[in-house]
Amino acid sequence: MLTKREALFTQTRIDDEIVVMLLASGEFLSITGTGADIWERIDGTRDRATLVAELADEYDASEAEISADVDAFLTGLKEAGIVAGS
Amino acid sequence: MAQIPAQELLTRETRVHYGKAPHALAGQVVAEDCWQLVGDEFLMRAGAGHWFYYKQGHGVTIERGPGADHSAEPLWLSGSVYSAVASINGFMPVHASAVCHDGRVYAFKGPSGAGKSTLVTALANAGFPLFCDDTLVLDLRDPDTVQCLPGHKRLKLTDEALALTGAAREEKVGVDIGKFYAQPSAQYAGGPLPLAKLILLDEGDECAFEELSGARRIAGLDEDHYTAHYFTMARQFDLAARFAHLSDLAGRIAMSRFVRPRDLARFADGVAHAVAYIGAKPAP
Repeated sequence: MLTKREALFTQTRIDDEIVVMLLASGEFLSITGTGADIWERIDGTRDRATLVAELADEYDASEAEISADVDAFLTGLKEAGIVAGS
Repeated sequence: MAQIPAQELLTRETRVHYGKAPHALAGQVVAEDCWQLVGDEFLMRAGAGHWFYYKQGHGVTIERGPGADHSAEPLWLSGSVYSAVASINGFMPVHASAVCHDGRVYAFKGPSGAGKSTLVTALANAGFPLFCDDTLVLDLRDPDTVQCLPGHKRLKLTDEALALTGAAREEKVGVDIGKFYAQPSAQYAGGPLPLAKLILLDEGDECAFEELSGARRIAGLDEDHYTAHYFTMARQFDLAARFAHLSDLAGRIAMSRFVRPRDLARFADGVAHAVAYIGAKPAP
């Protein structure tokens, strides 16, 4: 399952943008559009495959098309250390 | 209990008397050109022997030791001390200079040397009353509005800025400070007044205004300047609390970015853009 490492960041929503601050560095991440949809679904109840299936359904796209975006986004979050799991 | 009007509170808290100031806070002696803010007290040492001490409810005490530059005292009082007093009393100082239009404040924020004072002098000459120079104080107590307190207004300009703006040169800001107090050919605004826009100054090839959203508003508010450090210490913010504060503020303040070339020959072009931008904003 994909989970957020809540102790390592804090977040807020301004307009349509989710802003995450990494507590270790003070660095900001801006999450918008599809990224915000993915971020909000990472809640410890879904794995990557479920996430891709849900988004493909919502955006009326193939899972192959969605997969690349999801993987790129998850890689960034994992590199930042704020998401774990698969 | 009714709130004391912000302006009245700051006027009362910034009253000055001369005498002996402590040289340490919380057991720590303050080094030359350093400051400390602990609880409701602030202590600053300007140079070797010029001490400024504030304690909430007791005003500001200045100790003029040997070598103190008396001429720079108004600068310290209107900048560092005023910002510290504001912070300890729950107001937020911002490193910005501002004018007003239609009863609302347009504040320009940027690091030292960004051209804040020069720009507001030119805008004042163009008919926008000057609101403050270098230190803008925000009253955030009303959740529905962000009020600006007028504070200190005396412009401080370099020789170059005086030549650019045509402002009248007055006395030197301090013996070792390369700026002069200056008088614009315009009126000063009273206050408090609501904040219309916080505008970040930036450099670029062409003059342009860009509206800011989300993370860029938070980043723009997250300044590395003593005014922000005072407020953070007075509120005892850790990183997460500071982020929560800036997020709240970013949701309440309209912000934009003003890019213009730092080229003396194109200064007037930048001023014309700013005049058009502010002048186009309708009254609420």
